[in-house]
Amino acid sequence: MQNFLAIMLDSGQHPAAQQLTGDNGSIWHHMSDALHQSIDRVLSLLIAILPGILAFFVAMAVFTLVGMALSALLRRGLTWAKFDDRLTQTRGKDDWTPGTSPTALIARASFWACVILGLIIGASAFDASYASAATLPISLLPYLTRAVGAIFLLIAGTLIARFLARSVLIGAVNAQLQYARFLSLGVKWLVLVLTAAMVLDHLEVGGVVVELAFGILFGGIVLTLALAVGLGSRDLVSRSLESHVDRPSEHGVGPTHVPAASQAEPIRHF
Amino acid sequence: MATANQNSDLPLAPVRSAPGLLVLLASMPLEESEKVVANLTSSFSAESLMIATADTLPGDLWPGLRILTIPEANPSWTLTAADFELAYRLAGENEAGAILMLGPGSGSLRSSGLRDLANAVIDVSADLAIPCYDLPPHAGLINSAILYPLTRALFSSRARFPLAVDLGLSLRMAERLAIAAQRSTALSQEDSLIWPINEAAVAGFTTKEIDVGPRSTPQPSESDINAILASVTGSLFADIDAKAAFWQRPRYLPPTRDSSQQAPTTDGPTDITPMVDAFRLAYTNLQEIWSLVLPPNSLLGLKRLYMTDVAKFSMPDTLWARIVFDFLIAYRLRTINRGHLLGALIPLYLAWVASHINITTAGTNPERHIEALAAAFEADKPYLVSRWRWPDRFNP
Repeated sequence: MQNFLAIMLDSGQHPAAQQLTGDNGSIWHHMSDALHQSIDRVLSLLIAILPGILAFFVAMAVFTLVGMALSALLRRGLTWAKFDDRLTQTRGKDDWTPGTSPTALIARASFWACVILGLIIGASAFDASYASAATLPISLLPYLTRAVGAIFLLIAGTLIARFLARSVLIGAVNAQLQYARFLSLGVKWLVLVLTAAMVLDHLEVGGVVVELAFGILFGGIVLTLALAVGLGSRDLVSRSLESHVDRPSEHGVGPTHVPAASQAEPIRHF
Repeated sequence: MATANQNSDLPLAPVRSAPGLLVLLASMPLEESEKVVANLTSSFSAESLMIATADTLPGDLWPGLRILTIPEANPSWTLTAADFELAYRLAGENEAGAILMLGPGSGSLRSSGLRDLANAVIDVSADLAIPCYDLPPHAGLINSAILYPLTRALFSSRARFPLAVDLGLSLRMAERLAIAAQRSTALSQEDSLIWPINEAAVAGFTTKEIDVGPRSTPQPSESDINAILASVTGSLFADIDAKAAFWQRPRYLPPTRDSSQQAPTTDGPTDITPMVDAFRLAYTNLQEIWSLVLPPNSLLGLKRLYMTDVAKFSMPDTLWARIVFDFLIAYRLRTINRGHLLGALIPLYLAWVASHINITTAGTNPERHIEALAAAFEADKPYLVSRWRWPDRFNP
């Protein structure tokens, strides 16, 4: 390209053209130098980061494999030792009841613990290599380590929201609240909004805007729920208060309430 | 099983019982405790009895009677793990030959009932003597709906009250129950429930059911049925889960015994509308949760029930049996959180109660209906066993 331009400029023997040729050659030289330097910097940065990326993937792969092996080993060992049966016998009645068997839970936990460990070690190795070699700011890279924490926050928040929503729904239905589903949805969204705000805060995205929006949303949901429950259950509360003064709970374990005028037989669940 | 004669309530000549009978008496008002002791001393010589109680009994009323003072325990409406552990320890320390455990309100039991219950274990004819109470038709409904049919279908026992508050125990039965209780007390769960029928069935011990007549049943202190139902049902489900290797084998049910008890009759109509309303509210809100546990057939049955009028509200026995089995399987598989699972069962139980009351009000004998329900549980047991073994492969 440079030669081609030189030939083109050399074809005319005009002094002004010669001057221009000399100037253009100088500009091109400068541009070429600048481009070379930029490419060198990018390449050197990539070369500096590559070991970090490689370390990240190697750490992830190694720890995932270790996790798989450990999980399989634990699963076999605990099944052989009849761990579930022994735990049921020794623990008896327990309020905390996980969704899967203890053996599967331990095996999964060990696998994911290894994966997370690999992720942390890989991210720190990547971070270290980047920090030592970086001369140019790459704004996205610092988010990588925070993104891991944010993902965990998001998963935990979603699980808690689902658990609380179900608890509230079943409790409200058994308390015979007509707006049980609405209450359950309200609680679910409260937790989800809180989770979203925490995730964004963890990622340092949005700053004050997120805090403000979260405050408005959270307050709005609480106010809506309070108004709905307060207005909707006014009769229920008054009836409940009256019933507590006059008689035992309608769905109590003792005799079920029957009108005094009738000769109805009381119901005893036990 | 044998039937004890309890028609006569006349005081009988004192019977010498050797070796001694340890009577573990729950804490109750003094007059009631005195009545129980008076009933016992009318059937047994005072020298052969040992009364263990936390209450202060006047010893001078019954010369020769040994009264053991035990520490005050947490008041409970039924027998707990701590009671079984204490009973076995006291029996060992005092060289008792048999144990009679009497729960709160046992002052309402006839002396003949107490005598028969104690004699069943004193003469070593049975390891476990379990009473059959003569309760009003609308009492003990959780027992009739879940505890009795499940125990009968899985452990092949016709004992009508698996969670009885009075028991007669031989020493080896007491030891077995104490070992089961220790697992709970070691974890500071002294108020855990123990299931004597299940333990006796697994150990191969003999069980004898005794008609003891009417009794005022103690009611749980917690006023919320939701908590109590979940606690009792959860405890039974956990025990069934722990003994799965035993009940999956087919076993013969003992023949029906002749009962001298009167068939209960309803005194008057009972308003079932609140229970039907509770079920309907749950049907509109808990579909998502029920669909995780129940197969489409059961959901269809519930839909039909939802659309039925209160006057014709009747849940088929087969549907209720299938519901309980599916909840038991979901409990085992931990399909959803167990607290949520048992909470979702409550409206269905209320629907069964409403249906049962409707059926009995229409003229059906309550006991006959409960027996038919228990037979439906037995008939559907192969479904439970299949799904228990292959939950993923067998899901109609």
